[in-house]
Amino acid sequence: MSGKEFFMNRYSELGWKNEEVKPRQAIRINTPDRASAVVERLSSLGLELEKIPFLENGYWICKPKFSIGATPEYLLGLYSIQEAASQIPVTLFTELKEKVILDACAAPGGKTVQLAVLMYNTGVIIALDVRKKRLRALSNQLERCHVKNTIVYRLDATLARKLDIRFDCILLDVPCSGNFVIDKHWFSRRTIKDVGKNAAAQRRILAEATGILKDQGEIVYSTCSLEPEEDEFNIDWAVNNLNLKVQKINCFGEKGLTDIFDQKLDDAIQNCRRIWPGQTQGFFVCKLKRGSSD
Amino acid sequence: MDAFVRHFQTKIRFNKDLILKSQNRYFLLNQELKGFIAKDFYYAGVYLGKDKSGRFYSSFNLLEMIAKKDSNKVIVNKKTEWLFVCGRDIFRKGILRLIGPNKRNYYTLVLNQYNECLGFGKIVSEVAGEEEGIFVKNILDLGDFLRREK
Repeated sequence: MSGKEFFMNRYSELGWKNEEVKPRQAIRINTPDRASAVVERLSSLGLELEKIPFLENGYWICKPKFSIGATPEYLLGLYSIQEAASQIPVTLFTELKEKVILDACAAPGGKTVQLAVLMYNTGVIIALDVRKKRLRALSNQLERCHVKNTIVYRLDATLARKLDIRFDCILLDVPCSGNFVIDKHWFSRRTIKDVGKNAAAQRRILAEATGILKDQGEIVYSTCSLEPEEDEFNIDWAVNNLNLKVQKINCFGEKGLTDIFDQKLDDAIQNCRRIWPGQTQGFFVCKLKRGSSD
Repeated sequence: MDAFVRHFQTKIRFNKDLILKSQNRYFLLNQELKGFIAKDFYYAGVYLGKDKSGRFYSSFNLLEMIAKKDSNKVIVNKKTEWLFVCGRDIFRKGILRLIGPNKRNYYTLVLNQYNECLGFGKIVSEVAGEEEGIFVKNILDLGDFLRREK
């Protein structure tokens, strides 16, 4: 079970209206306190920026005339290139300053930098990833963007309890099947079997994270997959098996689906956000806590 | 590392208890990070630089720390900023201002008009010398972030 027709039929069954997909290049300002000065500098280079309405520090790049990854301002760490939807998860934590945070699948580090920015380099981020090449990319990002509060380990997220740390906040931007917007060969590369394998791996990460979360701690779970097995089904599983509750969030996107392929999921799954491709890539995000739902 | 900093005619006092070495790389921690560190870390706190073949290679973080001190600095114009991060040397005409003794054979930091550190180089001619020619030979510039990824 694979191919464009198979997956497109699934998306249609899930309610996607197959609207125009034109993802826009986006950046995030790493110096929120002087964002307007940075925007002014970028404008003086000839970059036309448009504020992304659902993000505080995010901007669309309109008709870029040169590579935005090769300006002195980029190399100075004043901004990061980060797709708009993927800027959302980090903004969902209630409070980050002075906290102990786990970024469980951190490389290449865009969200780690975003965490450090919102923490004002206070507290501690523990960032994990397994592949050495990706760890190098992560380290470069941390150096370029002046991150000072992070410790990086080469460690699989499913073994995070080895660190013997309990976390206030855990970011699970888990490895996923991706989507056809960011990979033009996606339909020929992916099968429903791959999706199942990824979903199982994501459940293992969710279970591990739950075990090292402080009682009042928060988990933000996200994927760039459109497949419900990696999104709503996994969160439904977490609600039923890990004693996690889905928190209400106020962000861009549609409600999570609760009626999928003739299966009825927990009503709280509506608190998740599903973002169908359009100006952004496809995305899924939710916030989880132990204890009662808000 | 101390010897490297002295090249800029300045000094930084590090708390040695907060400097950790992982393989050939040096990191500066704060007290809070130190409480969370395990011996097999890959990266931690502020990366300072690395030893390779008996030489110290500075990070940009360390250059920034040096820039906060009274040290050799040249401030360059916008065009020269771009050329420098592309790996080019600095000609006298691209310099807006000189800070510090900046004598021949000294190392100097290269800053843009916003006082942001772009890298460093070696002064290869006298300050009071002729108008034309290279003044600072590029040793390390921010374009290194892009070159590393290749």
